[in-house]
Amino acid sequence: MSPSTLGDAARSSRATSPNPLLRRILVTLALLGAVVGLEFAFDTLVPDAALQQLVLFALVNVVVALSLNVINGMAGQFSIGHAGFVGIGAYTAAIVAGHIHKALGADDILFSNSFIVMPAAILAAGAVAAIFGFVVGLPSLRLRGDYLAIVTLGFAEIFRLVIATAQTGGDVEGPVAQFLAYLGGQNGYAGPDRNGVPQYAGPFWIFGAAVVAVIIAWRLKFSGWGRALRALREDEIATASVGVDPTRYKVTSFVIAATGAGIAGAMLASMRNGNPTVQPDQFTFAYSFDAITMVILGGSGSVSGAIVGGVFVTFTVKMIEQLQRFESVQALQAAYPALDLNALRMVVYASVLIGLMILRPEGIFGERELFRRKPRQRVSHAPPEPVPARTEVEANPENETGPFTGKADK
Amino acid sequence: MSALDLQGVTKTFGGLRAVGGVTFKVPERSIFGLIGPNGAGKTTVFNLVTGVYKPDSGSIRFAGEELSLLKPAQIARRGVARTFQNIRLFGQLTVLENVLVACENRRRSGLLSALLRSPSFFRDEAEMQRRAIELLAIFDLDKLADETSTSLSYGNQRRLEIARAMMLEPKILLLDEPAAGMNYGEAEGLKKQIRWLRDRFDLTVILVEHNMQVVMGVCEEIHVLDHGETIAHGTPEEVRKNPKVLAAYLGEETPDEAASAAPAEEEAAT
Repeated sequence: MSPSTLGDAARSSRATSPNPLLRRILVTLALLGAVVGLEFAFDTLVPDAALQQLVLFALVNVVVALSLNVINGMAGQFSIGHAGFVGIGAYTAAIVAGHIHKALGADDILFSNSFIVMPAAILAAGAVAAIFGFVVGLPSLRLRGDYLAIVTLGFAEIFRLVIATAQTGGDVEGPVAQFLAYLGGQNGYAGPDRNGVPQYAGPFWIFGAAVVAVIIAWRLKFSGWGRALRALREDEIATASVGVDPTRYKVTSFVIAATGAGIAGAMLASMRNGNPTVQPDQFTFAYSFDAITMVILGGSGSVSGAIVGGVFVTFTVKMIEQLQRFESVQALQAAYPALDLNALRMVVYASVLIGLMILRPEGIFGERELFRRKPRQRVSHAPPEPVPARTEVEANPENETGPFTGKADK
Repeated sequence: MSALDLQGVTKTFGGLRAVGGVTFKVPERSIFGLIGPNGAGKTTVFNLVTGVYKPDSGSIRFAGEELSLLKPAQIARRGVARTFQNIRLFGQLTVLENVLVACENRRRSGLLSALLRSPSFFRDEAEMQRRAIELLAIFDLDKLADETSTSLSYGNQRRLEIARAMMLEPKILLLDEPAAGMNYGEAEGLKKQIRWLRDRFDLTVILVEHNMQVVMGVCEEIHVLDHGETIAHGTPEEVRKNPKVLAAYLGEETPDEAASAAPAEEEAAT
């Protein structure tokens, strides 16, 4: 290899050149304009209330899938308790939003006030979920595979059951028990005055959260950090052998994923026209399982996949519920009272999953992305010219390329 | 001044003494061979030096620092790089990414600047890619930079593993059976590559190898283990004639027969 080709290789290094500042500002403004526009145009664009709900819920699920993708897809850990983090975020945000709303004194949910309530709720939900993510992430240093899955599942179920089974009536003693009673047990938390969690998260906040989550997930994946995380998934010993500390990267990935899930939870708790009560039943294993389905169906490690998976799973689940509107389905249900459409949902769901895993075990996208710029055409994808074996290459330190070049490619 | 200094290093697994009181010094800028029959504890020594295992007793000193107290990633950052007996690449990552992971620890810009895509992120990334491609060019892998590493041929995978280790800018390079699966011509090429690496990058090479053609041809000093114990140490000439070494490899035989049979035996062992 001549020095000139070396120079070519160096010149065409594929690091993206920094965005000109102006372009960045314009893109940011355009995105901001789009989400602000959606806040006001959403009712016109999507007139059906049920569909509105569905779209917003799908976006929250996209955030959940993107965050789970960091652990399950990129880092290759297997967490099946993601609903726990979402739940922690939801409860935290509901408490914070409820109290701030009360302090603001306005009865109506004003868009202007959402700029006070939502940032506080998001920060609190993200921070509390991050702390739990750190604690749950620690066992991942010693456990892997099924064992780690059990720990994460256990965490999520403990969180849910502690809240669901707390004593709420009668005399409750002790600060912890009183706090749990305040959370409302099985009936859920409905704000400080029990008149519902204020629903400040309109299209602006939920679309905004989804956009930011996509940008962050993308940037994480295509950074040295994401690369190291994917290396860790492939081979932990080899990763450590090149100076990357698995401990730090694993725990960080858990913290980031939990933060994302917590923020999704904040959106869920405050969703406009959503459930005004945060209930433990929203965060059962079924929801964790939905999140895993979104990631695996879309393609583990793929940002595009998490988006598609999140939307697809949300709509599939809801579509089966919507089927009940049809008269023929209602007649069928009347004829066969045992027919449980919710149970049928699981059957359809499972069939889709099984089919996909047979046809495309790596998910819709695999680890690839929808809009990933191809590497420059520096690399010819034709097989390299066969080089005749030259075993007599002299070892010569002056020769920059050394005896590795020209070796027969076996 | 020695590059690496092992004093009475012992490691047992359950009741099995894999390495028992091994003591040797590796001279700086030397090519040092660590040989022995199967199960002699050679790879265990590598795993002890790189922190994969902690020794039960003894000390491993590198540049005046005790390695046995450090974690594998810390040891790698100090400048001890290795390859693996069974190639361990990051399968789903491209050739370029495989090498880039090895300079992750030298990145100056943190996670936040990656999220903000700050100028320092782009600077770091461009600099890392430039160095990675230069290094890949040295190993004649730059044309394959965007292939996934699993799609490479066996020989290219071995070279990529060395390239990845070299990205750490190591002071010591541990090669675990680099000649495994190579024919005579390739092994001759490997000998030249090892010498060239040492001269070009000014480092110490420690070699675990079964292929006697490579070991005897390239090593300046050899340490022989059998059942975790040291049985010989010296130049290739001395080791070749050492009756204990011959006995370990071939059983009790007359030296003449053993010497002629040794290379064939080793070929069979790999």
